[in-house]
Amino acid sequence: MASLVEMRNIVKIYSNGVVANNGVDFQIEKGEIHAIVGENGAGKTTLMKILYGSEQPTSGEILINGESVVFKSPLDAMKKGVGMVHQNFMQVPSFTAAENVVLGHEPSKGIGLDKKKAIEATKELSEQYGLYVEPTAITESINVGMRQRIEILKILYLGVEILIFDEPTAVLTPQETKDLFKAVRVLIEKGKTIVFITHKLREVTEISDRVTVMRNGKIMGTLKTADATREGLARMMVGREVFLDIHKKPVKRGQKVMSVKDLSFVSETGHTMLRDLSFNLYASEILGVAGVEGNGQTELVEVLTGLREPASGSAVVDEKIVTGKTPREVRQAGVAHIPEDRLSNGLSVSASIDDNLIVDRFFKPPFKKGLVIDQQVVENNGKELIKEFGILTPSGELPVSSLSGGNMQKVVVAREFSSNPKILIAAQPTRGIDVGATEFIRDQLVKKRTDGTAVLLISADLSEVMSLSDRIITMFEGEITGVFPDASKVGEEELGCYMLGVKRQTAEEMEALL
Amino acid sequence: MKKFFSNPAVREVLRIFIAIGSALLLGFIITLFISKDPIGAYKAFLTGPFTKFNRFGDWIEESITLTLVGLSVAIAFKANMFSMGTQGQLVLGALVSGVVALYVPLPATLRIPLALICAMAVGFIWGWIPGYLKAHLNANEIVSTLMLNTIAIKIYDYLLVFYIKPEDAGYNVSAIFPPEGTLPSFIPNVPFFNNIYTLFTKNTDITIMLYIVILAVIVAYYLVFKTPFGYKLRMIGSNIKFARYGGIDTKKTMILVFAISGVYGALAGAHMTMGIQHSIITNISISMAFEGIIVAILARNNPLYVPLTALAYGYLRAGANIMERSSDMSREMIAIIQALIILFVTAEQILPTVQKRIEERKEQNSNKEESSLPDGGSHEL
Repeated sequence: MASLVEMRNIVKIYSNGVVANNGVDFQIEKGEIHAIVGENGAGKTTLMKILYGSEQPTSGEILINGESVVFKSPLDAMKKGVGMVHQNFMQVPSFTAAENVVLGHEPSKGIGLDKKKAIEATKELSEQYGLYVEPTAITESINVGMRQRIEILKILYLGVEILIFDEPTAVLTPQETKDLFKAVRVLIEKGKTIVFITHKLREVTEISDRVTVMRNGKIMGTLKTADATREGLARMMVGREVFLDIHKKPVKRGQKVMSVKDLSFVSETGHTMLRDLSFNLYASEILGVAGVEGNGQTELVEVLTGLREPASGSAVVDEKIVTGKTPREVRQAGVAHIPEDRLSNGLSVSASIDDNLIVDRFFKPPFKKGLVIDQQVVENNGKELIKEFGILTPSGELPVSSLSGGNMQKVVVAREFSSNPKILIAAQPTRGIDVGATEFIRDQLVKKRTDGTAVLLISADLSEVMSLSDRIITMFEGEITGVFPDASKVGEEELGCYMLGVKRQTAEEMEALL
Repeated sequence: MKKFFSNPAVREVLRIFIAIGSALLLGFIITLFISKDPIGAYKAFLTGPFTKFNRFGDWIEESITLTLVGLSVAIAFKANMFSMGTQGQLVLGALVSGVVALYVPLPATLRIPLALICAMAVGFIWGWIPGYLKAHLNANEIVSTLMLNTIAIKIYDYLLVFYIKPEDAGYNVSAIFPPEGTLPSFIPNVPFFNNIYTLFTKNTDITIMLYIVILAVIVAYYLVFKTPFGYKLRMIGSNIKFARYGGIDTKKTMILVFAISGVYGALAGAHMTMGIQHSIITNISISMAFEGIIVAILARNNPLYVPLTALAYGYLRAGANIMERSSDMSREMIAIIQALIILFVTAEQILPTVQKRIEERKEQNSNKEESSLPDGGSHEL
């Protein structure tokens, strides 16, 4: 018997050259809960977007019930019974729950919306699937769990058979997650089929019937959840080749330059994102932070660079506390920062390249001369850095938006490296950029470290962490779960277990190594 | 030819001309339907400011006000702060400069600078308030500045009616300023310039404010494009997160931006009382401060373009007023034509967007051609 859904040899290459899916074969059976796991950027979401019609594959074929289909848009997919529950809710905040459920396919009365019918339909669906929502509640005033249920009802209202959940628990509290899982089971009872994208192994073992592991745009394997162990899955998820082309001269690590002590951070929403983190940074050493994204790395960087204030604890550079200080004070203490999101933090894309290269120095001589900024010095600074870092542009006066992603990142790297920092915090330094720029930036990071800079490298790309770092710490749910003093002597499977919280070193084990 | 049009400065001027030209054309079509003598009416509109010397003077005086309010808005907008506070600053600037001009017993050489400085100071403070509220309490600047405008206008009216207005005055207006409190003509009253001096002073109120405005434009341009403060302002305007990440004190800069914007707004007020009205009158600002938004947007918030757009926009306003007086066009119709001009002028995105669309279309087509090639080849196999 044919599978309910069969995706054959799916290839997806984005216009910027990123290969998101590379020959993927994937089947979904009717009535199952099928989990897809993989690291960020493994291609899970892209694969599902193709199935849902919001992305078109570069090549490959999709069969539903043995019949070949082409989805030009999500509407096509919905007609064939495929719907997606988005991570970011697609709802109008000022509408009622019922209005959002029927949005786009409203029962009409004359030219207006038949509110009564909308409410009835919502109630009916809500009862049928055990997804409780208050039909007349205004969407913006209700909690995330209910908003997610609206999102589910929305696609059930259109009569879909296959529901794709994209990391549905990322925004939920533990209790809401429980409720969601209950609802998922009811959906299965009613004959629906569910695909569940996640990177939390605990959820996979709890809810799914089968699990598919993706890595680097390929399927590593599909197995029955009953046969899978968390260790095994972790191994499949993160195992990866280590680059051989990085030349790293052995260097003796230098003096301690930064010490982080009992650092904690609580987000605006009240979640504890960092829990009593302690570690030290040494000159001439790259300390890599390995972890699945969303386990506190972003917050760690933002606290260390002055963008956020810690709840408790501190980081000390040269006997001076740098946490809770302004970004400028942190920079003046010798900390440079390559931010993880270059477009929103690291650059002003509408400003010129030259202007982007002076944000940390425009107020100092020789840039400031008397009352004005010396344009000649700014221009020369731009020219030099463009040349030194191989930024591909005809002129530094052009806006950053005229550059490619890799060259934009080079602008950030050029600025941060040329400030001659004592400490360099590099978050996702090579994310989403081309191979050439990636290699260049990795070489530069190693060079800085060899020249005596202390580097804190945060990357979701485990192979990057493993091949660049001298020492590695793993982070899981805002805590350090393991320290590996010699990065070359630790396997990715081992790291994977610590990254996913399957294994954990004790405080005593770690203390001496931090 | 293509190169000529791809020059940004040429495109900029072209853009402004097309916007104003289309508005004028539409206005003319309306006039055709309404006026018995549409050509005559429109001629009055288009050539009005040059038909009489005093009309020319009115145009220049108004353009000075427009330049100052335009600069006030442009500085705030350049930092991506949507300050609507120019009106309040203008009103308080007018009040304070007027009070000094009326009551401070100093000779003109001291009284006039003092009046201007006091106006600027009050503008600075009145701008500082919404800046502080936004920076430290995250108060929306549009709401806070509009509220502050109302407060400023009420303070102005209150003081005018209960304290400044002479008791025997029939309506709400102050005494006429003494010569020591009035801005002198921009042409020095020396024998050599005698003829031209009388010509201008008889017909116009163009004062030394003309020079102050030129200076103000240069200062604003340097401030925004040449100084470290301007760099901070522009970075905040283009990406405030980047500015913060880079170590810029965004809060302090933000407050200063508002305050400096206030200085320019207040100067416009001083110009209106000490230069044009020579007294403190009610409803002094009318809608002048909001015209500043149009002038600033048309100038793309570049201080150097502000006087040009102020002159152009001032010309249209003056022309419309003259048309009203010298033709059968009603005040309402003229208001409609003016509104149309504003609409066209502020629809600044029209041209760039159309252009972008065309370019995208082209790109898509060329992509299609490329991708269709291998298909064509396979057919032959």
